[in-house]
Amino acid sequence: MSFEPKILGIACNWCTYTGADLAGTTRLQYPQNLRVVRVMCSSRINPSFIFRAFQLGADGVLVGGCHPGDCHYNTGNLYARRRLAVTKKILEFAGLEPGRFRVEWISASEGNKFAEVVTEFTGQIKALGPQTKFKIS
Amino acid sequence: MAVSFQQIEEKLKTEARRLLESGQVSLVLAWGRGFDEKHPMPYVAKGASDVDGIVFNEFCTHNLARYLVRYPRGTKMAVAVKAADSRAVVQLIQEDKVKRHDLVILGIPVYGIKNPKTGEIIDGKTTCGLYNPVLYDILIAEEVHGQPVSSPYAVLAEYEAMDQDARFAFWKKELDRCIRCYACRKACPMCYCDPCFIDQNKPKWGEKSPETPGNLMYHLTRFHHLAGRCIDCGECSRACPVDIPLYLFHKKVAKECEEMFGQAAGMSIEDKPVLVNFRMEDSDKILE
Amino acid sequence: MSRIGVFVCHCGLNIAKTVRVSELAEFAATLPDVVVAKDYKFMCSTPGQEMIANDIREHRLDRVIVTACSPLMHEQTFRKVLAASGLNQYLLTIVNIREQVSWVTHNIDEGTSKAKALLNGAVNRSRLLMPLTSRVIDVNPDVMVVGAGIAGIQASLELANTGRKVYLVEKNSTIGGHMAQFDKTFPTLDCSACILTPKMDSVLQHKNIQLLTSCEVSEVKGFVGNFDITIRQKARYVDHDKCNACLACTEKCPGKSVSEWDEGLAKRKAIYIPFPQAVPQKPVIDREACTFFKKGKCRLCEKVCEQKAIDFEQQDTFSTVKVGAVIVATGYDLMDTRDLIQYGYGKYPGVYNALEVERLFNSAGPTGGKVILRDGKEPQAIAILHCIGSRDKNSYEHCSRVCCMYSLKFAHLFKEKTSADVYHFYIDIRAAGKGYEEFYNRIIEEDVKFIRGKGARVAKSADEPDRLMVEAEDTITGKFIRLPVDMVVLSPAMIPRSNAKDIARLFNLSTDKQGFFMERHPKLAPLSTMSEGVFIAGVCQSPKDIPDTVAQANGAAAEALTIVVKDKMELEATTVMVNPASCCACQNCVRVCPYGAPFFKEDKGVSEINEALCKGCGLCASVCPTGAIIARHFTNDQVLAEMEGLMEF
Repeated sequence: MSFEPKILGIACNWCTYTGADLAGTTRLQYPQNLRVVRVMCSSRINPSFIFRAFQLGADGVLVGGCHPGDCHYNTGNLYARRRLAVTKKILEFAGLEPGRFRVEWISASEGNKFAEVVTEFTGQIKALGPQTKFKIS
Repeated sequence: MAVSFQQIEEKLKTEARRLLESGQVSLVLAWGRGFDEKHPMPYVAKGASDVDGIVFNEFCTHNLARYLVRYPRGTKMAVAVKAADSRAVVQLIQEDKVKRHDLVILGIPVYGIKNPKTGEIIDGKTTCGLYNPVLYDILIAEEVHGQPVSSPYAVLAEYEAMDQDARFAFWKKELDRCIRCYACRKACPMCYCDPCFIDQNKPKWGEKSPETPGNLMYHLTRFHHLAGRCIDCGECSRACPVDIPLYLFHKKVAKECEEMFGQAAGMSIEDKPVLVNFRMEDSDKILE
Repeated sequence: MSRIGVFVCHCGLNIAKTVRVSELAEFAATLPDVVVAKDYKFMCSTPGQEMIANDIREHRLDRVIVTACSPLMHEQTFRKVLAASGLNQYLLTIVNIREQVSWVTHNIDEGTSKAKALLNGAVNRSRLLMPLTSRVIDVNPDVMVVGAGIAGIQASLELANTGRKVYLVEKNSTIGGHMAQFDKTFPTLDCSACILTPKMDSVLQHKNIQLLTSCEVSEVKGFVGNFDITIRQKARYVDHDKCNACLACTEKCPGKSVSEWDEGLAKRKAIYIPFPQAVPQKPVIDREACTFFKKGKCRLCEKVCEQKAIDFEQQDTFSTVKVGAVIVATGYDLMDTRDLIQYGYGKYPGVYNALEVERLFNSAGPTGGKVILRDGKEPQAIAILHCIGSRDKNSYEHCSRVCCMYSLKFAHLFKEKTSADVYHFYIDIRAAGKGYEEFYNRIIEEDVKFIRGKGARVAKSADEPDRLMVEAEDTITGKFIRLPVDMVVLSPAMIPRSNAKDIARLFNLSTDKQGFFMERHPKLAPLSTMSEGVFIAGVCQSPKDIPDTVAQANGAAAEALTIVVKDKMELEATTVMVNPASCCACQNCVRVCPYGAPFFKEDKGVSEINEALCKGCGLCASVCPTGAIIARHFTNDQVLAEMEGLMEF
């Protein structure tokens, strides 16, 4: 059986989650490896959520927020961008493959982009294979 | 060396006595005698009679900024700081943990402080590599010039060059040895959280016993909490009983923050900590 | 121990086609703390809701999970079911297995297993949910309408007639918008001014409407029910309280500029009213064109003004208005067709855009209603080019919806006013509206020529240098056509206002791909936005004709009314709180909050939250190193538990 990765998505309510809904409404098809947690804003994402996700066995983590400047809470994603960038650097210096953690800005009108990103990211994680470094066995 | 450790000690005592006697401060944070000369200890002088207990020698590594947050807000304090230590004071002022006007900063320019465990002179390999304080009220000695200045990030090259798997193996091996004594956070001037996230039960972020997953969670999250705040004094690593090179990771995060956000920790009291700040011109490149 | 009920919706076949719903319910029943799990065809229907209500009572449920469509769709519906059954509404969890599962896969195995993972996460999270109490706030009874075109005018009048106070903000010195520029309206060919100007006058006269012309919104604070909006009153250099609208100043003024209202086809004075029926009928000074402002001398207007209303010292002023709801009706711009160089607009005087043509037809326009070209001649042949910039992947993908109809109207008016041959170059004719197809048939009868092919290029005619040549492919005959004409009319794309992004930022609106404001739901909430209490109407949402715009304006007025008609309203309870025992006084929360909700209590040495200001984004919770800040409904342990559940399967 081929490797079916588990991908954790964390999406902001206003843009990316709504964009994901739009992908559904327009019946776009994408791989089913992504499981999305809804939060109100990408800035809600505690760096430890990401560390924990990899410990729980996520093969990849995809964070989605509003485009910078379009945050429902004005500036939340501008903080998130910095905080998640640091999270990514930390994970990579600890030895995680850079491709396993990604942040994307996907607006409520970008159902297409959501489907494309998920498809592309899932392919990338499949190519990387199972994430075993941080997973608690 | 222009000024001897003995001269610094004398000047420290003079200033401490003057500040305490005049009532300008109610305590002076400095170093005092430990069980031998190689192990001086943090020392608080609360009156002129305590001043004679102050020592200064080549093994006074401790970052006394650590103790500033122990006293109630508004306490008038003097604190003796070396170069990196002064950055910690600056950072604490940025974070409003202490007020500038409550402090008298006794700046000590010094080269030649040694790691008591190895006997090696502490320089940019394990700390920020500065020898002069960045902020002070009273300078205890003449500024140090002409000493070898090494880039604080040069030491990273070897680790950055490793491939992902080798680097993971390196850190796993190092962090696996962690006995969770928390000396690192005790020594750290920026680790003032009470309670620390790792000590909590709801939610339980990680196991408290010294095993890989909990160790990783503790250290990775701590690296994030200190991102843009760590002033690279290296005390965490010197405090570590099992010699985990935590300073390497902190240096890496500090380097990335400096590159991404154009600001080093603890250099100016006008700055805002980078992870609770943003600029409109921040680029998505930092996420790549 | 929780008692969880799981209710799996089939949504007809929408879900059931690619998720094995009964298997999902059986799976749910095996999960810890789940005491009842059922599937049903339409959970949102009355029998579905009753089933949930009954099971809450019968099984003494203390948590409910509805596995159905997106929470953005029916969360409120099911929350009401819980509330009616005596269960706190925040103990509901929605699992989105339609938009994010069944609709995005054809594979029933994949769909089912993803649905199981999502449900498992939801059960984990559900256990940790806490009952929350909504905050009740006072509601300001007034409404602001931004933009005074036909949409803003209509919405304002409707609201004002219910007795509400309305602040109508318009950036120009007159209300009326684009509709005031039109001559006739399709398909009835009734005169635009005859139906609009009485409404404009009603706005001016209405005791409940405060008209704020030459004004712009500069800052928006607060939230639904309690907006504090700062208005910038731009300097008019004329005191409108003193002015008696004698307009002597406009006669004497030597300064000239091009008339915006006439689309640059005529001139106006530096002190001017945009058009004779403008509301208010009081002039403003155009600083850029005024001789005094340019050269420091003149002041003729001041000399002739008996009311002493001219005030060269006037400055922009700012004032704050409190309202409970807002309607944004900021309209559109026409695409600048100069960018499409193949059509020669701006290069050849014989090429006009649609709004210019509207002005040519208008008896109050630059030619007194005669169709006379820029060179003073009457055209013998006219080409109307549809879809310029619209339905074009190189410019704007959307259809501007009204161009077909107004182009037909133009053809009729050209036939009426000239002896010219009129040609349409079109992709297809879209005449879907009441009386529109009939109008189209009528125009066909009027000897207007239709060439099915998009105009490709406008060039100078090689044989007759003062004429133009339109090139196109006739897709019916398959032949390439070169048609000599005297006049070309472009029907450009209707696009978002150039400052739509700024308006979106001020009011926290989302914009779609083209930049039009996005509605909360394309079908069920077409006038609401993601910003609670802010509604949209008219072309700022998407291109539409006058009847649709007016219908939307009425709808938006009704939506706004549902908010301001109550004295009090409930707000989301999902704000944050501080556990003082864990606060380490780092004050990160205070530093980051965009709303100033957290503040530091020096005496206690901990942060506290002003919940009236908190919008529940949770930023402070993630920058809180000790976890002292608890983001209600999205707490650290709730999120972690959900993640654990999702990653288990």
